[in-house]
Amino acid sequence: MAVRANNIWVVWLTLGLALLLSVSSMPRFMEVGRPLWLALFLTFWVLALPHRVGMTTAWGLGILADVLNGSLLGQNALMLTLITFLVLTLHQRLRMFPMWQQSSVLLVVFGLAQLVQLWLNALSGSRPPTLMFVLPALVSALLWPWICVILRGLQQRLGVN
Amino acid sequence: MRLLVFAVLSVALMVVDARFALLQPLRAQLGLIAEPVYWVGRLPVRLWEGATQGLSSRSELAAENEKLKAEQLMMQRRLQKLAALTEQNVRLRELLNSAALVDDEVLATELIGIDPNPFTQRILIDKGGKDGVVLGQPVLDARGLMGQVVEVMPYSSRVLLLTDTTHSIPIQVNRNGLRAIASGTGNPERLELRHVADTADIKEGDLLVSSGLGQRFPAGYPVATVTEVIHDSGQPFAIVRAMPTASLNRSRYMLLVFTDPRTPEQRASDSAEAQEALDREILQQAGTPAVAPTPAPAPTPQPEAAH
Repeated sequence: MAVRANNIWVVWLTLGLALLLSVSSMPRFMEVGRPLWLALFLTFWVLALPHRVGMTTAWGLGILADVLNGSLLGQNALMLTLITFLVLTLHQRLRMFPMWQQSSVLLVVFGLAQLVQLWLNALSGSRPPTLMFVLPALVSALLWPWICVILRGLQQRLGVN
Repeated sequence: MRLLVFAVLSVALMVVDARFALLQPLRAQLGLIAEPVYWVGRLPVRLWEGATQGLSSRSELAAENEKLKAEQLMMQRRLQKLAALTEQNVRLRELLNSAALVDDEVLATELIGIDPNPFTQRILIDKGGKDGVVLGQPVLDARGLMGQVVEVMPYSSRVLLLTDTTHSIPIQVNRNGLRAIASGTGNPERLELRHVADTADIKEGDLLVSSGLGQRFPAGYPVATVTEVIHDSGQPFAIVRAMPTASLNRSRYMLLVFTDPRTPEQRASDSAEAQEALDREILQQAGTPAVAPTPAPAPTPQPEAAH
């Protein structure tokens, strides 16, 4: 890459924060709608710095998430890689979209990832009885504009590249 | 292309992880990072609890102290009774030649995290392989059984609660010894009894205790109380719902039980041998020639008699 990396630690810091948020304690009734923090933060950095953050990062992060959650090793990794792949293929178009349109595209992407997650869970024995599994995708899509604005502010302020 | 590589890698990892124990040590080591993350993740809860405790007024503390004292008195009274009962129990068991009731050893532990997946009922506790925790070890709180250890990491371990949909525990009705299996429903306040005959003698309010038949949980710990029994003539079995006695979603402090690793048979023969040795000693002390010629004392305990 011709461009020198600048303040790249911000990316790692925010992704670490996302990892933390994904296991932090929440009231029981809110837990079914826990946003996909990792997917949200990762999507932003993939859109903003596609030459720095890619599928390798996503996979590594997913493995860490698997260890934290005690799920099968590779489950979250597969999900995050899938999301990153979709976002990378769409990113030229996605960057042009207005915010609400980005949100709706991401809703589909996250929903797809949640569906894969559901299948994998069903394979390993535990299956949620309801359609609740799409709730996190919905909450995440609604959170996207805010995350985007905050992280973009951070990126521009610190000149992350 | 890269998606394919990573996808294949993930799937391979999942299969290996699910089918073989190959990745167990790796997971255990990687688990080291989990604990600090969970610790920080629970920080807000801790801070909030600390703040409410710090700000509770003196009169509140006094009231609580008073209450605890009263409770302690009640417990003391029960304990006095318990001592006599234990004594009696041991004596009766001696009469029956059955295995002595051993007190289980316990280790106190603290909750450090809750599984973020809302469809599983698992928690993280602060004791791990370095403290002697083993896979399948039972965990209980002050009121009853909570679950068992399913993953051991060096300084922490994961506990599957009784109410997880993949968990079942063999139980007995305390009142009449009726055996059944209690399965989790995914709801932290409900267990369901599987395959209970419509005519079985079980009713609302019955206490269910662990039967120890699965060789995993020690026998005799309270598990749940029956909340409703539904007889539906269209169903082959009665629907029995129960509520766990342990407060599965509230307990902060738990106990890890170290059960005797010996099998019941071994335990029975051990105690029988001890009893024989004692008998012989008594005979020798008595030392009267009138008793000496008898080849063996009449009530020699037989190991098989334990069944």
